[in-house]
Amino acid sequence: MSLESQFFLLMKFVIPIYLLAFILYAVRAFKGPTIVDIVLAVDCLSFDVAAFMAILAVYFRSVFLVSGAMILALWGYLLDIYIAKHLVSREVGA
Amino acid sequence: MSVLFYVGAVLIVIGALCDLFGALGLLRFPNFYVRMHAATVGIIGGAAVPLFGVALLALGADFLHHRYAIAGASFITGVIVLLASPAGSHALAYAAHKAKLVQRPEIDHLAEVRGDD
Repeated sequence: MSLESQFFLLMKFVIPIYLLAFILYAVRAFKGPTIVDIVLAVDCLSFDVAAFMAILAVYFRSVFLVSGAMILALWGYLLDIYIAKHLVSREVGA
Repeated sequence: MSVLFYVGAVLIVIGALCDLFGALGLLRFPNFYVRMHAATVGIIGGAAVPLFGVALLALGADFLHHRYAIAGASFITGVIVLLASPAGSHALAYAAHKAKLVQRPEIDHLAEVRGDD
């Protein structure tokens, strides 16, 4: 059994777990009672999509998916900081 | 080199399980400050650990064409997640306490220390 077929066998178990976790995060992001719950769920979702894109880069053998994952991780951090700044001081600025 | 492949595969499986448990906790826990614990399990265990796992797996995989580029970029992304997620979660918790968004936190030591309620 070659290394490549072992990797595809691993992906048959890992990809449904990730998709189920995405659905659960999306449920919390849609029904979250306050805005910080929504931001926290979207934050978890974006970091996990970044990790999932790195796995898919090995799956599809493409380098370009990983650069998108890096941008997505930085975007999640930016969303946290801007929402927190707006909630503390009621304005978004420098 | 296939030892690195198997270590990376084990890290990816651990990351997937941590991701599922973090998502369940984020859905089931009662209020925001308790949900941040599940979010930490879901981000550090479910995103940083599989990114390091993908880096090791791509180093050990012989069938990949650009394996060094994928390994380096996913390692950098793992370090970014490991640095950015605690800072963002801390800023969000501070903002939620400052704006008094959570309805009834049962124990609030920060308000007692500051002297406001």
